Amino acid sequence: MNKVIDVKDLCKTYVVNKKQNNVLRNVNFSVEEGEMVAIMGPSGSGKSTLLYTVSGMDKMTAGNVTFCGKELESLSDNEMADVRLEDMGFIFQQMYMMKNLTILDNIILPAVKSKRNKGNRSAVEKKGRALMKKLGIGETADNDINEVSGGQLQRACICRSMINDPKVIFADEPTGALNRTSSDEVMEEMVKLNNEGTTVMLVTHDAKVAAKCGRVLYIVDGNIRGEYKLGRFERSETLRDRERQLNNWLMEMGW
Amino acid sequence: MFFRILGKDLKRKRVMNVLLLLFVILSATFASASINNMVSVYGGIDYFFDKAGMPDFITLTMNSDGVNPTEDIVRNSVSVTSYQREDLFFYNAKNLKKDGKVYVDFENPGIVTSVSGARLTYFNGDNEEITEISPGHVYLGGLLNDPEKVHPGDVITLELSGRSREFIVDGYVKDALFGSPFLGNPRMLMNDGDYDYFLSDETIRSASCGCAYYINTDDGKALKKELTAVKNALFGESISTIKITYLLDMLTAVLMMVVGICLILISFAMLSFTIKFTLNEDFREIGVMKAVGLRNSSIRGLYLIKYLCIACVGAVIGYACSIPFAKLLLESVSRRILLGNDNYELIGLISAAAVVAVIVAFCYSCTKGIKKLSPVDAVRNGETGERFKKKSVLKLSKSRLPENLFLALNDVLSKPRQYVSMVVTFTMCILLVTMLANTSNTLMSEKLIFLFGTTESDAYYNSTEKIMETMGSDDPDILDHIIEDIEKELKDNGMPGKVHVELMYTLPVEFGNEKMNVIMQQCKDTQASEYKYITGSAPMYANEIAFTPQIIDELGARIGDRVLIEINGEKREFIITATMSSFNQVGKIGRLHEAVDVNVNDASSAMAFQIDFDDDPDAEEIDARIGRMKDIFDTDKIYNAADFVNMSTGSAQTMSDAKDLVLLIALIIAALVTVLMERSFISKETPEIALMKAIGFKTRSICAQHTLRFVVLTVICTCIASVLTVPLTRLISDRVFAIMGAQSGFEYEIRPLEIFAIYPLAVAGVVIVSALLTSLYIKSVRADAMGNIE
Repeated sequence: MNKVIDVKDLCKTYVVNKKQNNVLRNVNFSVEEGEMVAIMGPSGSGKSTLLYTVSGMDKMTAGNVTFCGKELESLSDNEMADVRLEDMGFIFQQMYMMKNLTILDNIILPAVKSKRNKGNRSAVEKKGRALMKKLGIGETADNDINEVSGGQLQRACICRSMINDPKVIFADEPTGALNRTSSDEVMEEMVKLNNEGTTVMLVTHDAKVAAKCGRVLYIVDGNIRGEYKLGRFERSETLRDRERQLNNWLMEMGW
Repeated sequence: MFFRILGKDLKRKRVMNVLLLLFVILSATFASASINNMVSVYGGIDYFFDKAGMPDFITLTMNSDGVNPTEDIVRNSVSVTSYQREDLFFYNAKNLKKDGKVYVDFENPGIVTSVSGARLTYFNGDNEEITEISPGHVYLGGLLNDPEKVHPGDVITLELSGRSREFIVDGYVKDALFGSPFLGNPRMLMNDGDYDYFLSDETIRSASCGCAYYINTDDGKALKKELTAVKNALFGESISTIKITYLLDMLTAVLMMVVGICLILISFAMLSFTIKFTLNEDFREIGVMKAVGLRNSSIRGLYLIKYLCIACVGAVIGYACSIPFAKLLLESVSRRILLGNDNYELIGLISAAAVVAVIVAFCYSCTKGIKKLSPVDAVRNGETGERFKKKSVLKLSKSRLPENLFLALNDVLSKPRQYVSMVVTFTMCILLVTMLANTSNTLMSEKLIFLFGTTESDAYYNSTEKIMETMGSDDPDILDHIIEDIEKELKDNGMPGKVHVELMYTLPVEFGNEKMNVIMQQCKDTQASEYKYITGSAPMYANEIAFTPQIIDELGARIGDRVLIEINGEKREFIITATMSSFNQVGKIGRLHEAVDVNVNDASSAMAFQIDFDDDPDAEEIDARIGRMKDIFDTDKIYNAADFVNMSTGSAQTMSDAKDLVLLIALIIAALVTVLMERSFISKETPEIALMKAIGFKTRSICAQHTLRFVVLTVICTCIASVLTVPLTRLISDRVFAIMGAQSGFEYEIRPLEIFAIYPLAVAGVVIVSALLTSLYIKSVRADAMGNIE
């Protein structure tokens, strides 16, 4: 298996009112191709910062992140934008979308921008509609973003993250703003996506969500305190058992 | 607490607050300066006339055999309450030299007055009454009150009829009668001894002397009727008409006022946008304030205090800036007019305070939106729950536009209200400039040639000397000789052509009980039917005549009526067959049929000698020939049709200068508005920008999208301005032209390249560059800033 993400001695420091706040301290880990990794930890431990720094959305203070063989630190802004467009997908806790576009247009926007699809907008539209249908929101294609439910919107965000067939999808608490039913639906789609070969790295507070991942990293005060391997999630009947195992481990870690 | 929140807000939205402050400063500066200008000029003319002792009526006549024909009439008239006589003699540009060369080239006859013979009060540059002038010294006024051509200390020579004397220019004279550039007869005020030296010459006494009568009357109409007996009056106008000649000064003041008002309106549009935008941005804070129990009035107070602070600071700075600006605006006017406004500071302060009051009142009405926001907005992301309003207009999936252009266009179409203030501002900027350009282009276009009562010719040769030669002679054929000489000279130089000239006669016209002197134009070598008329048909026979509507109204006559005109001592009946427009004599003029026999020596003035070349040369050849003619006739006063109009209106350059100033102001406004708006958009759309970056859009792509919105807006504004510019020019400039005398029948000179391309492109260029430069700030928005609603 290839490493798609390799993090070495990653540090992130914020300076607020001339005071240094070391949010990430020498973090080391890697993610293999096709893996589904969850990052857990108490509030303020640096989970989201880790996700944003690893995905190149935020600048690191020190260390090294290699994404698909490219050192993110050495990439220019434009090269970074290309990597984000072609090789990364993002899902956020809040369902950020362009207000003046329909759901379908929001989904296909990265594909329209992609050089791979230049001059082939009808194929892009077809792909967008197919993805929407697959995630069960096909009927909302021409709706505005304020005309659909939170769950539908988050699934639309997943569609958008998938439209360019990224190598890795980063998700920051993708179910944080959803009720249990919507949360389950969204996670079901994420697992399907992972099973189809897409690497997923997500941040969550929810053990039930993390239990669907193959590996869980536990972060405290900017350091990875430990990791727990659950193995690939294939059958839903095993979920309760995985959740129990994970909770036990998390208790040991001080959760 | 209140002020801590305020302080934080001022700091947090620094760029927007600074831009807002700039608009308030500009508004206050323009409001204070232009109101000051208006009050000074408008009140200043009355003050000047009062201090100069201007009477109700002024008439200027040449002496005949040492006697002035006006004297008997005014002495015996019952309608004259008092009068004063000012003796003077005339000279022309060639009589006044410096170092052997013509000192200043001018068209109208110059007037020399002695200081003790002066019956008006004349003022020097320091606004002091001129009561004494040393021998060998002079003060110059009228057209010679021009610091670019005339400098105090210059040594000049007046040569007239073999008499010559050297003078030192002491300074400029503020002359109420000829102070406006519209009349602008060059006045020379000299010592009595020097004056008598010239007057001791018999030729000057008989051919160049005249009198100005300053008459006060209790019946202006009756006086005018009585003065019709004076033949060949050079000038005879009431004080109200002379005030109109200061129109150009008023126009500039009004223009600045209009620019000031536009700026205030633009400031309001910006304020309205900024307030609504801020309220939209602060929905969460307002919701929380309401949730914790703050009243609407307290929350509104918070915003009002902020805008009051900005308005006060802006007004103070604007007022300070307005003082030098007002002085700059008044500089050219105060050189010619004795301004009586000593309340610059007070007027400026009141204007600046008015700007503050209006801005705060406006802000109060804009903050009404706070009432509508409820505590639930704090948690509902600014939506009240009453949603489902369609936002998207275009569909990316169906569109073939490039994605950046699509996003820009969709954004403009989805939120049109957000862009209204910008569309209004940019359109106004383009319109202000194009309307002024249309007017100034028209004022220097050959399309107006007919308004000077002339036909269109290849060249126009202005020679005051030759005309004065005609007027001062008893030879009835002198004009024909002069014309023959010019034609011969042209032929000898390989430019054969026909020459003719429009003469003007002051003739008494009677209709019913009405009687008045009317300036009549006539050219023996053209046909009356060659001129333009508004209504009726051109005079076809010697007993037919055309008047301007102003004369017809004054007489109370209509087309078809018969009027009596005294020509060569004989009263003849004429039928009014047409009305026409004219700039001559502020629109008070008539046209005689070419067959009417009038003695050319009785002409009171004339237009230029018109030259029509036999071989019908093209424009380039005409210009080349004009250059050659200037050498042949040793004068600069030979023009093509367009230059002749430009020279005759005299206002085209003022208008053109005003247009350049307004263009500069418009471009600054457009740039400021663009920066303010784009900065606001970036601030408002930070989450969307971050999202676009997160999904892989490059910064330059987002900048392009933001800039393209302004491209779309400028295209819309150009279209609107292109549709409105001609009707609005007509709406406003028709009134200006009407004041100048031409009521209708003229076409505007619309230069498509300038009006529909160059000026809109200049505004668009500034807008687009400003937008692009401001959009570079997008670079500072990070891809993970989606949650940062601030």
